[in-house]
Amino acid sequence: MGESVIGAWIAAFLTLGILTFLYKDNVIYKISEAIFIGVSAGYWFITLFWDNLYRKFWVVGIEGGQWELWGGIILGVMMLCRLSRKIGWIARWPMSFIIGAVAGLYMMLYFTSNAMVQIRSTISNLTESVNVGDPYYIIGNIVVAAGTFSGLVYFYFSKEHKGVFGATAKVGIWFIMVTFGAAFGYTVMSRMSLLIGRIDFLLSDWLKLIS
Amino acid sequence: MKKLIAPVIIVVVILLLYFVVPKPLEFSPVTSTIILSLIGLALVAMLILTIAGKMIGRRTVFIFIAVALTLPFMMNFKMPIRITPEVQSLYDALEQLPAGSKVLAAYDFDPPSAPELQPMADAFMTYAFKKDLRVIIMGLWPQGPQQAQLSIEAALEDKEVAAKNLQYGVDYVNLGFQAGNEFVIQRMGSAFRGMFARDSKDTPYDDIPLLKGVENFSNIDFVMNFSAGKPGTQEWVQIAVDRFGVTLGAGNTAVQAPGMYPFLKGGQLVGLLGGMSGGAEFELVTGEPGKAAGFMLSQSCAHVVVIAFILIGNVAMLLARKKK
Amino acid sequence: MLTNQDHSFSKSHPCHIIVIILSFVFSGFGASAQAEDTATVATYSSDISPAVDLPPITLLAVDTDNDNGGSITISWDDAGYSELPQFRGYEILRRSIQANAPVLVGTAPHGSSSLVDKSVSDDTTYVYYVAATVGEERFVSDSSSHVQSTWQIYNTTLTPLLIALIIVGGSVIFFIETAKRGRKLFLRKIAGLEAVNEAVGRATEMGRPILFVAGIADIDDVQTIAGLTILGRLGRTIAEYDTKITMPTRTSLVMTAGRETLREAYMAAGRPDAYSDDMVFYVSDEQFGFAAAVDGILVRDKPAACFYLGTFHAESLIMAETGNLIGAIQIAGTAQPAQLPFFVAACDYTLIGEELFAASAYLSEEPRQLGSLKGQDVGKAVAMMLILAGVLIMTLASMWELDTMNQLQQLMRDLFSLN
Repeated sequence: MGESVIGAWIAAFLTLGILTFLYKDNVIYKISEAIFIGVSAGYWFITLFWDNLYRKFWVVGIEGGQWELWGGIILGVMMLCRLSRKIGWIARWPMSFIIGAVAGLYMMLYFTSNAMVQIRSTISNLTESVNVGDPYYIIGNIVVAAGTFSGLVYFYFSKEHKGVFGATAKVGIWFIMVTFGAAFGYTVMSRMSLLIGRIDFLLSDWLKLIS
Repeated sequence: MKKLIAPVIIVVVILLLYFVVPKPLEFSPVTSTIILSLIGLALVAMLILTIAGKMIGRRTVFIFIAVALTLPFMMNFKMPIRITPEVQSLYDALEQLPAGSKVLAAYDFDPPSAPELQPMADAFMTYAFKKDLRVIIMGLWPQGPQQAQLSIEAALEDKEVAAKNLQYGVDYVNLGFQAGNEFVIQRMGSAFRGMFARDSKDTPYDDIPLLKGVENFSNIDFVMNFSAGKPGTQEWVQIAVDRFGVTLGAGNTAVQAPGMYPFLKGGQLVGLLGGMSGGAEFELVTGEPGKAAGFMLSQSCAHVVVIAFILIGNVAMLLARKKK
Repeated sequence: MLTNQDHSFSKSHPCHIIVIILSFVFSGFGASAQAEDTATVATYSSDISPAVDLPPITLLAVDTDNDNGGSITISWDDAGYSELPQFRGYEILRRSIQANAPVLVGTAPHGSSSLVDKSVSDDTTYVYYVAATVGEERFVSDSSSHVQSTWQIYNTTLTPLLIALIIVGGSVIFFIETAKRGRKLFLRKIAGLEAVNEAVGRATEMGRPILFVAGIADIDDVQTIAGLTILGRLGRTIAEYDTKITMPTRTSLVMTAGRETLREAYMAAGRPDAYSDDMVFYVSDEQFGFAAAVDGILVRDKPAACFYLGTFHAESLIMAETGNLIGAIQIAGTAQPAQLPFFVAACDYTLIGEELFAASAYLSEEPRQLGSLKGQDVGKAVAMMLILAGVLIMTLASMWELDTMNQLQQLMRDLFSLN
């Protein structure tokens, strides 16, 4: 019991400490922030140490004798050369490997999932709907097709935005702005949810005001 | 001296709440209605003040949000929640899985996003266990598998689940965290064993009964991803779905959710739980109203306050423009 | 870890080629092996299924196409068993040619006619049987011909992707080469850029500094590079107007690159004496530590114009809101979709997504940036045309139901079906 009560008090102090920033910057906020940064840095260090260095490098690579991992281990050691001014250039090799591998992988992935599949899903019969003639679906189809097309027109840089092309681009930017509005709304919802999570902690776990 | 007033008041209020106020604190429906009406009236007053030319400070907005978020916790109102098609389709896809199906649950989030994702993750785990799905847990975020452990504990509190006497390694397994971001998914496409030589309890992959015959994604019936960022749902879609053809459902933070809708329309996601409200819908559709559903009144009140202040802000702006 | 990643082009090992050749060789002996199989199955089926009037189920087992091995597709033609009232389902059995007894690999319900067996090994040759379960009895088919799973070097379903990559990649290379040869490539004007001079002018008039933040990513991020390219051009105007600039950075490498960029800009403007290294300084690698420091600068120095160009995360609103509070002209640009709404709300001009790169290419006139942008424009043009044509074809096909329209519709579907 003692442990959890003390834990709840510390957590509550830190939560309230961070919230005091809403009034103005103060010492308690700074202390809470510093503790948060310090703890998370420490946590990451320990996690990465045990999961990467110990589990991967030592247990699997050295003890388990999985030779495929040695390529990675060597590249990792080369990366550490960045610490030295003299041999820092060696770090460029693993860096170029990472950039090359990631670029290669991403080129395929983004082209498939974010371009080809999205074009395919935009190309649809506008009158198609789950229940025949349901205006909700038909309007939805038109919005998706028009939004994607005009958005692409807005981001087309090889032609001046004039005439019909310019008007379409204007429709495009309207679609983009509506998207931003929706994203903003979702963000507000997200932030409120996080605050609800904290208030729930304060009211139920700490003050035990609600069950 | 003046500086000490605020801290002293805070401490006194805390002590009162801790030692004096009766617990649990619950408002009657009449009191709740009165409180909500008062908040509404106060908002109208703010609008009138704005029209009268008074500027409303940011701290006033904070107080309104705090009140609108906190007091509903003590109210016993049931919020009507509509199940959106993306939640329904996820539920339908899960319902089609026969008992014994192998489900991979990827927990790609950490405690800072837990308020949004933990309720839906708990609801999912409870549902999966009740349906006798076999759950394989993993995480691309270091703290993900620990959040999964919390989900398991929450699920085991359910009487029906507890009665099943689930066994670790047979009914569920936690493979733990693996560093390497999306490359982990890529590698899992050819062999799970290559990425998870041992589970989180250090048991070798081949000694775990549940993983017998699980070579790669082709032996998995469904993948559920709870994601708070990168690597997360986008990477699962790009690699697991578009390359290896898995069936994927996702739970996302609300910030991320709008970005996932194209994948939903493209058929790459069978369903999506967006933020806490998505979690609440999932709880309801599975017939187990839980934390998220309980929070929806607070969430809705806060949204009403935000909308009211957007209106008030715009009125202020229009008036200022008129004066010019 | 990376070498073994590819699904469609994997396992390029000479052993597999030998296996394929051997499998062809072995298929020549199929006839003799077949007789033996039937014998084995006859014993197997006679145990469980009495004679019936219906002919046996015919089946076909083939290697699954376009995969990296380990999979065989079995399809069957039901001879009417599923019409029997007591029909319960199909059982799919497999026997490796070295083994005697078949094993159950899966079941299939009423109405199904195929199954993919993913539990096979590429090194083994198998035969399959399909059994219809009717009541308590099973009616087992004759064996399939010998089958072995193999990997395919080229995944034909990905051909449209290859074509698209060739079109876009080829255009990028073509335009880079064209730009390198000195041909002028047209790019439209970017609205936010016009405001840059206005902002610098205002800061000069008010005698207040300009704040420039090149995002929070390191120098390896393309958005940081775009931000610095714009800084190069902006720096020249600042030097000409003799305005002050402050540039806090989150990483040391961006600081070095920022100093280099500004020094060159001041030299180009003919004011090398006015340049000082103190204009660009490192603050902190810690994300919110950096954001707090920028906020401090905003509140203390009250710059007249603020530029946020690069990669931003959650600190975007913290900075832009403070800048808005002090009444600065603010110009932002980022390709982080989640942060754009905040910049749009709090800044006077925002370069949205690709506009940041376009602005950078427009100002720098650097062949690689220009060529990449033009190449991508080709991709976008193709996408626009496909969407327009596709939507029209699909909609008209459904309205008119003409054969040619339906054929076009099918073509559209095939073009984009990648799996």
